[in-house]
Formats: sequence, structure tokens, C-alpha cells
Amino acid sequence: MGTERNLSRRKNILYCAISVLIICILLFPLYWILVTSLKTEKEIFQIPPTFWPKELNLKSYMTQLERGDFNMFRSFRNSIVISVGAMIISIVLAVPASYGVAKFSFKGKKAIILGFLITQMLPVSVLLTPLFIMYNKMHLYNTVWSTIFADATIGIPFSVLVLKNFFASIPDELEEAAYIDGYNRFTTFTKVLIPIAKPGIVVCGVFSFLYAWGDLAYGMTFIIDQQKRPITAGIFNFLGQYGTKWSYLTAFAVVTIIPVALIFIFMQKYIIEGMTSGAVKG
Amino acid sequence: MNRIKKFFKYDNVGMLFVLPGFIYMMVFVGFPIIYNFILSIQDVTVQTLRSDVKEFVGFNNYIQLFRQDNVLTLSIWNTLKFTVMSILFQFITGFALALFFNKNFFFAKPVRGLLMMPWMIPVTITALMFKFMFGTDVGIINYLICSIGLISENIDWLTNTATAMPTVIFANIWIGIPFNMILLATGLTTIPQELYESASIDGANKFHTFKEITLPLLKPTIDSVLILGFIYTFKVYDLVYVMTSGGPVNSTQVLSTYSYKLSFDMFRYSQGAAVANILFIILLLVSLLYLRYVYVEEEV
Repeated sequence: MGTERNLSRRKNILYCAISVLIICILLFPLYWILVTSLKTEKEIFQIPPTFWPKELNLKSYMTQLERGDFNMFRSFRNSIVISVGAMIISIVLAVPASYGVAKFSFKGKKAIILGFLITQMLPVSVLLTPLFIMYNKMHLYNTVWSTIFADATIGIPFSVLVLKNFFASIPDELEEAAYIDGYNRFTTFTKVLIPIAKPGIVVCGVFSFLYAWGDLAYGMTFIIDQQKRPITAGIFNFLGQYGTKWSYLTAFAVVTIIPVALIFIFMQKYIIEGMTSGAVKG
Repeated sequence: MNRIKKFFKYDNVGMLFVLPGFIYMMVFVGFPIIYNFILSIQDVTVQTLRSDVKEFVGFNNYIQLFRQDNVLTLSIWNTLKFTVMSILFQFITGFALALFFNKNFFFAKPVRGLLMMPWMIPVTITALMFKFMFGTDVGIINYLICSIGLISENIDWLTNTATAMPTVIFANIWIGIPFNMILLATGLTTIPQELYESASIDGANKFHTFKEITLPLLKPTIDSVLILGFIYTFKVYDLVYVMTSGGPVNSTQVLSTYSYKLSFDMFRYSQGAAVANILFIILLLVSLLYLRYVYVEEEV
């Protein structure tokens, strides 16, 4: 996307060097927790600190596999269940809704779009207390559903707003052609439009998953049993109880980052698209 | 039958597509917002949570919160400080990086892509990471500034009332840089290249082109970035909660953490709801301002 003219060879090399330096500084914290998770507890507290573990220690990961209270792989699984659940709800509801607001005009449409825009900017705090009381009455409190339902409220408005632009950009002629071929509005939608909108749907799926994956407030407030909690809440608990066990904590953190890193490596294109299309235009 | 047919032919069928999502949002967002307001004018604590009759107290919760101690006023002030300082540095750094990566060098695209990472990491992890790095004895930050001789004794960054807020802000800046950078970078690509070329023919220097071409043409993007940044930063919860839980002595207490503390540590649900409502109303006003600004010419 570089919009400036080509640079001289010398400048090119210089800028490359600067960019590497920038990345070393800005991404240092990530490197630092990875390295720390591979050190022994003793080496972590050593001065001067070592920038690469003297002896590779995988114990922080291994003990988590077996032990009870803060089993990070169980929390990991809970997080996957919650995030995938929230993602499915977001997609199933947001795809038709965005098509509806993009291709039809009906009474109250503007108000509905405005509603989605505003919910995207909502603080979690405003939902925490009322949902907590509602869930208590609905017997959803302390179930994974409580968090899945709450997390989907972040994914839905985002997805609707991104996909709205996507559907709007598909020419009407395509739908008309489908009509002539004997499709009705619903089958046009499912058989013709959804396949075209696939890249947009992937963006929304990725973001709905990531929003839910990163959530702490809902998972921590609505689920009380450690066995059912997502990994972020697990880490927070662990931090509260064994605040200085940094080898375990950083191992916990690395495991939490793994899915994010994978998504990042394989879907970078979608992420940048989602960030720019979702945020600026709404 | 005829009527149904007519209904389906008409564009109202679009409503059927929207309805499931709309109902969902009404149940899990619309109703809770209203309920939150009702809670804030009732008196609900852990004792009255399960009883069916709840006492209406009007705006007493709000009045009491402002009167009983200074924590609410302090939280509002802290939230503002946190937001303004975060945005200021995020924006400047993000802008500088956007300009730098707009140059056409070999690593520009891949490195810029990698810099998105901080934005994607779950905030809980970011908080933990900085808590570790700013740790008093274990932290690398203390080691680094100690070894260049700036300090002789370790600073207890997160447990000292003077340094806790700047440390939390520092962590938040790290999260926000990619967001600012990518939006500004996208904005930069929309500026026609010819403008720069003709400016350089006219002999304008770099500072001048930046001031006369880049800034004015980028203004819509800059405004969006700043307002959205304000909205996203003003409501930050996880970062502060994991790093300090609002402490020490409320020095990092922001509206979101204060609301949480009232509701779920002190079980004063109504007061927690009242604080959340204040946060909500501020954000609603800013959001409406933003939407009005973005959609002023464009049809929604």
C-alpha cells in the first residue's frame, strides 16, 4: 500500500533496519513472557536477568497438564467452547440481519442500524450488574451459556456493520437474475449471496471469536466454578492466589496467546480488513 | 392469502431477516440497559436481591455516591486522565509509525502487519505481562533503568500511588498504538500522490507539505481515530482491573472498576448500576456526537 515513490537502495536498507528495531522494541513484552515461561522460578528472579533460559524448563507447562485446581488446559477448552459458541451465535444472527438492512428498506431500519452502532460502543460495566441479576433468575448463572450469550453481544453489532457494507456492494442485478431463475428472496440469500459474502463472513467469525476469547469481565462475573471458567478468568484467579509464581503465570499466558497467534498468522489479511472497515465507517 | 403474498412481496420481508438478531440484542443488551437504570434508582443490595419488592429511592444512589466519599469524583477524574494521556501518546506514536510505514521500503508491509499483534492479545494477558515487567524486584524495567544509572533503588511501580496510574497508562498505550497506526495508514493511502508531486515541484519542504497537504486531507480520519479512541479507552476495564484492581488507595480507580467493585465486591448492586449508568451516559453522548459527525453527509 506504499503510496510514496520508490526509495534509493541505501534508504531502503536504512528503513528496513529501523523497522526491525521498532519491532524489537514494541514486541519485546511478548518475547519476554515466552522466555520467562521457559525459565525455572529461580532463574526468573536472577539478577542480571537472562535473555535466554540457561536451562530449558518445560515444567511450568507439564505440571498444568496433570494438576487439579488451575488446570490450564481445561480452562483452555472452556474458552474454546465459549468463543466458538459466541462466534456461531454472532454469525447465525448477524448474517441475515446485515443482509436485511443492506438490501431492504423498511420502517425503523435507521433506528435499528443506530442501535447496532451504539451497542458496539457500549461499556461492559453497564451490562454486568443487570445480566448478573437476570441470569440468577433465569438459572443461567454459573453456566457456560451465561458467558456465551453475553460475549455474542459484542460480535453481533460488529458483524452486522461489517457485513452490511459487504452486502450493499453486491449489485442488485445478481439478485434479479436469481429471481428469473426461480429463486425466491430466501433462497437467493442462502444460495447466491452468502457464498459471495464468504470473505466478509470470515472476518466477522474471526473477530467474534477474538472478542470472546479476550473477554474477562463476563467469564469472571457470571461463572463462579473454576472448572467452568474461561482461561482469562483462570489466569486472573491464579494471579490473585499465587501472585509471584511467574513461571506458571507466563506459561498460562503463552497458552492463551497460541490461538490468537495462529489466527494472526493465517488470517492477517482478514484482521486488517476487519479493523479498518469495522472501526471507521461502522 | 393475498395479504400474506403482498406482505412478502413488499420490502418489509427485510424485517424478517433482521428480526432474530434484533430480538437477541433487545433481550441481552436493550433490556439490561433499561434494567440497569431501574436498578440504579432502587435500593438493591445482597440482602434485597432475592426479594420481589424493591424499594424505589429515586436519585438517592447518585446523590449518596457523590456525597459519601470522593471515590466517584476521583474515578471520573482518573478515567479522564487515563483516557486523555493514553490517546495522546497512542496517537502520536501511531501517527509517526503510519507515516514511516507509508514509505515504500522492502519490510514496510510485513513489519506493519506484525505490529498488529499487541492489539489482538487478550487484554488480561497484556495486563499480566506489564505487571510482570513493572514488578518491583522481578521486573525488567527496574533492572534496565537501574543499570543505566537513572535510579539507585527499585521503584514499586504498581503499588505506589504516584506511579500506578502512569504505569497502567503505559500498558494501555502499547495496546492502542496498532489501532491508531492502521487507521491512519489507511487514511494516508487515500491522499492522491499527485498532490505531493506538485508540492515538491513548487519547492515546498517536508514540514510544509505535511502541514498543508497531509494534515488537512487526513482530518476526517484523525477525527474518527480520536473519537473512537476516546470511546474505547474511556470504558477500559480488564486492563486496570488485572493490573491494580483500582488501587493502591483508589489511585487507579476508573468508572468501570469502581462500578464492578461496588456491585461484586461490596454487593451494593444499585450503586454499582448507578456508576455504570454514569459511564454509559457519557459514552452515549460521545457516540451520538461521533455518529452525527460520520454520517452528516452520508445516508445511513
